[in-house]
Amino acid sequence: MTLQAALEPVLALPAFLALAHSFPTSSLLAAAGASPAASPEALPAITALQINAGAIAPEAAVLVAMLACLLVDLAGEKAASRWVPPICYAGLGASLVLLALQWNAPLQPAFLGSFLPDNLSIAFRGVVASSTLLSLLISWRYVERSGTPVGEYAAILLAATLGAMVLCGSTDLVTIFVSLETLSVASYLLAGYMKRDARSSEASLKYLLVGSAAAAVFLYGASLLYGLTGGSTSLDAVALALQTATTPVAALALVFVLATVAFKIAAVPFHQWTPDVYEGSPTPVVAFLSVGSKAAGFALALRILVGCFEGFQEQWKLLFTVLAILSMVLGNIVALAQTSMKRMLAYSSIGQAGFVMIGLVCGTKDGFAAMVLYMAAYLFMNLGAFACIILFSLRTGSDRISDYAGLYQKDPLITLGLSLCLLSLGGIPPMLGFFAKIYLFFAGWADHQYLLVVVGLVTSVVSIYYYISVIKMMVVKEPQEASDVVKAYPPITWAVEGMQPLRAALITCVVITAVGGILSNPVFSWASTAVTGTPMLQRAITLASATSLS
Amino acid sequence: MSIADSTQFLCFLALSAAVLLGALGVVLLPNIVYSAFLLGGVFLAVAGLYLLLNASFVAAAQMMIYVGAVNVLILFAIMLVNKKETLAAIPGLGVRRILSGAVCAGLLGLLLRVDFTTPWALPGPVSIGEGATIRIGEHLFSDYLLPFELASVLLLMAMIGAIVLARRDVFSSDVITGEGVDQGLIEKARTPLLLEKNLQIQPVLEKTP
Amino acid sequence: MVIASAFSPALPLAPALPGLGGANFLAVVSPGLDLESSFSSLLEGLGLTPAAAHLVWLPLPMVLVLVSAVVGVLVTVWLERKISAAVQQRIGPEYAGALGVLQPLADGLKLLFKEDIIPARADGLLFTLGPILVVVPVILSWLVVPFGQNLLISNVGVGIFLWIALSSLQPIGLLMSGYASNNKYSLLGGLRAAAQSISYEIPLALSVLAVVMMSNSLSTVDIVNQQTGAGILSWNIWRQPVGFVIFWICALAECERLPFDLPEAEEELVAGYQTEYAGMKFALFYLGSYINLVLSALLVSVLYLGGWGFPVPVEWLAGALGQSVDAPVVQVITGSLGIVMTVLKAYLLVFFAILLRWTVPRVRIDQLLNLGWKFLLPIALVNLLATAALKLAFPAAFGG
Repeated sequence: MTLQAALEPVLALPAFLALAHSFPTSSLLAAAGASPAASPEALPAITALQINAGAIAPEAAVLVAMLACLLVDLAGEKAASRWVPPICYAGLGASLVLLALQWNAPLQPAFLGSFLPDNLSIAFRGVVASSTLLSLLISWRYVERSGTPVGEYAAILLAATLGAMVLCGSTDLVTIFVSLETLSVASYLLAGYMKRDARSSEASLKYLLVGSAAAAVFLYGASLLYGLTGGSTSLDAVALALQTATTPVAALALVFVLATVAFKIAAVPFHQWTPDVYEGSPTPVVAFLSVGSKAAGFALALRILVGCFEGFQEQWKLLFTVLAILSMVLGNIVALAQTSMKRMLAYSSIGQAGFVMIGLVCGTKDGFAAMVLYMAAYLFMNLGAFACIILFSLRTGSDRISDYAGLYQKDPLITLGLSLCLLSLGGIPPMLGFFAKIYLFFAGWADHQYLLVVVGLVTSVVSIYYYISVIKMMVVKEPQEASDVVKAYPPITWAVEGMQPLRAALITCVVITAVGGILSNPVFSWASTAVTGTPMLQRAITLASATSLS
Repeated sequence: MSIADSTQFLCFLALSAAVLLGALGVVLLPNIVYSAFLLGGVFLAVAGLYLLLNASFVAAAQMMIYVGAVNVLILFAIMLVNKKETLAAIPGLGVRRILSGAVCAGLLGLLLRVDFTTPWALPGPVSIGEGATIRIGEHLFSDYLLPFELASVLLLMAMIGAIVLARRDVFSSDVITGEGVDQGLIEKARTPLLLEKNLQIQPVLEKTP
Repeated sequence: MVIASAFSPALPLAPALPGLGGANFLAVVSPGLDLESSFSSLLEGLGLTPAAAHLVWLPLPMVLVLVSAVVGVLVTVWLERKISAAVQQRIGPEYAGALGVLQPLADGLKLLFKEDIIPARADGLLFTLGPILVVVPVILSWLVVPFGQNLLISNVGVGIFLWIALSSLQPIGLLMSGYASNNKYSLLGGLRAAAQSISYEIPLALSVLAVVMMSNSLSTVDIVNQQTGAGILSWNIWRQPVGFVIFWICALAECERLPFDLPEAEEELVAGYQTEYAGMKFALFYLGSYINLVLSALLVSVLYLGGWGFPVPVEWLAGALGQSVDAPVVQVITGSLGIVMTVLKAYLLVFFAILLRWTVPRVRIDQLLNLGWKFLLPIALVNLLATAALKLAFPAAFGG
């Protein structure tokens, strides 16, 4: 922090240049500060126009780790497999620590208003960074076993993390787009990382094509918003312009932007890419995509929809209600018919995204807090499940659900871990997932979203059915009914390098999933602090309560 | 209307026509090579529109990046895999075409309606002509600093990823155990036991010279 | 610069354009956007409306560029034949005109009258469009070449960047003609040409960027102005020796001159993308490559050799002779000297290029790409970095 203070005069120099040239940003921010809609916490325009580069210190840690991985990788594959893991742990760990230090710090927009390190962004950035950390822990053995280069794998995954983290806090259309592309391009690369496998290449290509289309649509929507502001890309200016905008153009921009968000969080009907991409991508990558990428998507949704489209709440809430219902129903019902574990989790993740959207639609303090909480819980339970299926596929080379038959005889750890995580995903008490889900439904009920909550409850029951059928497959079968793969199960060994991190991640996730629910009080308060420490959400909440009272 | 104005207007008409017809050609022509060349034409016409707007730096950048790099890359890709291949006929192609045409026409109508009903903030910012290059630089190093720097990460990562995916690997064994590997997913398409019965997985042992 | 500015680019071509050059010469005396207004006033004196006079004026600069480019090519072709003959201890063209100076003209006429063949299975439209797309950007690039303080067609702010952008259009034309010929040699040649062109464009642009960084402007006029002051000592070549070498190598590669004429390597590809071409279409390729060579040489002289600057500053000479720099006679002499210097420097470089062509063997395609990506590109990047560092350290010498 002292370094930052020392650099402050230097860093602030461009800000004064900007003032001298009277950039649109400066005038618009000043306008935003003067408008009555601005929250009391809004700072004077002059502080808003500082570089304040300390805000992206967590991202800088990730970036340094990424570059270090690339440099170490030059020394050869052996050196890479030795040194890349500790570098990644150090970078992501430092990033998480820096994020924790930023928590509840006095809020200052960074980079002349293109980045805002509010508590919401910190919470989501934390989720993204932790998901990368856990994904990397379960990756090493998988990547080495497949014979693809480890250093580049880690570097690309860290770049995706960087993009997702910046996306969570960006408050400027250009920054949003560039960070979105960083995340997306890295994801395409990772999806095709098993390059000699046709399924992986297919996944990558599909993801690329659909993702590019989504990015193009987003750009179109962003250009409409830019046109409305008359020459500014800052989200504040967009919000200001939308207050007076006519309905058709705002609706069109809303639909276009929403399509991208829905693509990122894989909401039905923008989900078609999900099953194929999840099935064809390397499993640790799927773990990251299903949590980190999704968290960034939700952060983007909050930032744009809640922050900018205040005046069009009814429209986007209606759209999101439809998306949420479709996602919950379709995701959970189609998951019933899956035979591949990865595909099943893909559909399940579509359904889970539907649950999270309930919180978004509520627009109350509890709703937002439940969203944050659910993402945090989903992080651990989903990554725990992925750790288990990666371990299983490493030992057997299969991810068919039928191949799990009778597993408890041979590998109790996987059986226990997978069972706990799946139960938690289904929302069985006393797991973490149960508390998160109940909080979410409670928030929805309190906001009179009865349809959403009922659909959520029914589809939860459906989801419990297919989660439990996997558990039944593993546990109930007699030894002679076990699958061929399980009968030929190799002896359990953790000696090979890269297995220990996998075990550590597995056990961490499973333990948090199992006991986190009982100790969930601090997590609740953490989630509500994330909401109270975010002026944008506060404003939306006061606005919503004002309308509901009147 | 002075000569300058009318020239400008004529140029605008010509360029817009080029953009529209070129774009239609890109989408509708059956020959993919023509589509690619027309795409270059569309990019050029857009550069011309930028010139008309007095944004010469953006026009030159458009020319260099889109025509000189992107379009050439597309042409390369097409020409290097220029296989004459008769694809299987898609059932109901006519109906599909009509449907997608209808969707596009609907979208066009929607966009036109939006365009005409919106009170755009006109006239937009005044063009600053030659000073634009300097202004762009100032923006890149002030309020667009973060995306500018992030773009460098994006490009670096895209480059590394492209190299990783495209190169022939020297090492194709598990670094830890030294087993031969196939650089594919660990989860095989079929149950491994079935695989072992039928065909052995051929480890890729390709070495670059 | 009152009168000198009035000459406009007509001067270097005055011999080629006796009617036009002569008419303008006497009529023009006004400062500012001189040539156009004076030309218009001349026409208005003849009874035309201002609008019509403007319309008559509009195509003139373009014609001027075209003619100057073509004349430059004719000279270069003659030089090439004579110098190659000298290298090989032959005599070279001898009978057409004194010392064979009319030989290139004869060559051109021959090409003009040859049958224009489009192969039966070729794609006629693209086949025709290809050569045009190769030539047009090259000629357009002449817009930014300055022969004096005000002696250029258009002093656009993006100057040198416009040239880089325009030269990146060329590969499209090459790919187009390679594809349209329906001949595998042509296609390979076109692909090679495009690959070579985009590979060498990057170090080229980076070395230009280093120069631009020192002059704080993309405009070619500003770049030259930044090199005046101390005559030959202030030329960029002393501050950018590495950049100069990179630029020259890349320029040769962009022009597909030996040792980098891979796209038309006879032993491997017959004649590359030109294989199927004959008559005027072939002549367009031929013209394009030579115009490009002259253009590159001109730009090297602009970027690194002080453009129109005389090795000894004209101000010193005028002072030594006791003349005021603003005197009309001195102005005229300065202007003419500028044009002569630009052309002289350019043709010196053309001479080197021709000498290289006849003395150096051709590289292989993999060597070519390796050189571009693995050697020139990093060096150019380092050069750029070093320039930035030097600019920060010695702002006086490196254009702070």
